[in-house]
Amino acid sequence: MSNPRLHAGLAATFAVALAAWGCEANQTSLAPATGRPEFHFFQFECTPFKVTGGGRIDYPPGTADQNPPASHEYETFGAHVIASGQTDANGTCLADKGELEWVDHRPEMEINGHPLNLHATAVTFAERATDTDCSDGAAHWGGKLRVQNTGQENLDFEVWDCDNGEPGAGHDGFAIRVPALGYEVMCPDPDLPPAEPSCTLTGGNRQFHPTH
Amino acid sequence: MKIQFAGLALLLAMPGVVAGQMRMGASATSYGVSVRTANLNQTAASATLPGDGTLAQAQASNVTLGSYVSAQDVFAVATGDGDDPADAGSSVTLESVSVLNGLITADGVVAIASSSAEGSNGDGSSLANVTVNGVSLGDAVAPNTRVELPGVGYVVLNEQTTTPGGITVNMIHVVLQQSVLGVTRTTGEIVVGSASSSVN
Repeated sequence: MSNPRLHAGLAATFAVALAAWGCEANQTSLAPATGRPEFHFFQFECTPFKVTGGGRIDYPPGTADQNPPASHEYETFGAHVIASGQTDANGTCLADKGELEWVDHRPEMEINGHPLNLHATAVTFAERATDTDCSDGAAHWGGKLRVQNTGQENLDFEVWDCDNGEPGAGHDGFAIRVPALGYEVMCPDPDLPPAEPSCTLTGGNRQFHPTH
Repeated sequence: MKIQFAGLALLLAMPGVVAGQMRMGASATSYGVSVRTANLNQTAASATLPGDGTLAQAQASNVTLGSYVSAQDVFAVATGDGDDPADAGSSVTLESVSVLNGLITADGVVAIASSSAEGSNGDGSSLANVTVNGVSLGDAVAPNTRVELPGVGYVVLNEQTTTPGGITVNMIHVVLQQSVLGVTRTTGEIVVGSASSSVN
């Protein structure tokens, strides 16, 4: 479930995005205003569910193996979402609520000497993915977030959640994408369904709750 | 027989049970640093799982507790939910850690605790470039590694303790001791990077 090629491009894109912020009179102008999913799974259901937990990913490469701790090549996070099972007029599956706290510890992602810290300000959509091999449930959800380091906010984000049994480390997965920043920690694998670009947890757990 | 029917009726009258929504106790807490001594009792950057089973987080760019400990970029998170299948988890990360004026240092600390009905673990916890008494222990520090600190006490690195339905992970746990007339007694403790969770 790895894709090391993304790394160099990601760092470059992210640096460009950060530089662009400094030139923007309106710092929110980079963000789409919709708060809707950028794209859907091939198959999904709009049903009530909940996903909780958090942990650690060692991306790149995003496999079940930890990188050397001294490299600081890892990300840690906590996230939960509650899906309503309801749709809006556009057919978007709505979320009741949710939270995301994401910290990217990679030196190349530091801003002013501190780890990149993303904080969700709103979770607006959540859909259950069925085209996956996540044994206990999978979801695609997102909304708006703020870059805590810079104050840049109202940025669309989306995440992919995979509960693939216990323990979470080595089995479950998580992925995130923030299009306006060109930032993504995703691990698509051609041998897996496209609805599952998640990177394998090296610590922690994702827990899918079928109802709430 | 009537007693059995009464029990069945009671069970069916509990909607949560019928729907498979049995609720369990899920708890999780993490914190960056804690000092417990006679003259200082303080914890910094602490997150505790709310009762409604959502998420709590705390962070601090710089933390200094007296001359005992300093750290940068502390992030603590606690998450989980008691609804079946219940889960609880917490994590905390720190950078540039110094304990007792450099007696113990670490470039990076990660503590993770994770619990579900299937069990608990501290997978993902790590120490980066840890030194004790000026001696490098590298990155691979086995769970519950104890190192003596002459004149101070001792430290347990990557301390992992099982609790009822859960686990507590303390990445740096210094026990302060004092010897008087040949009797050693504990005078305090310093904990850096603590994560705990339980489901029961």
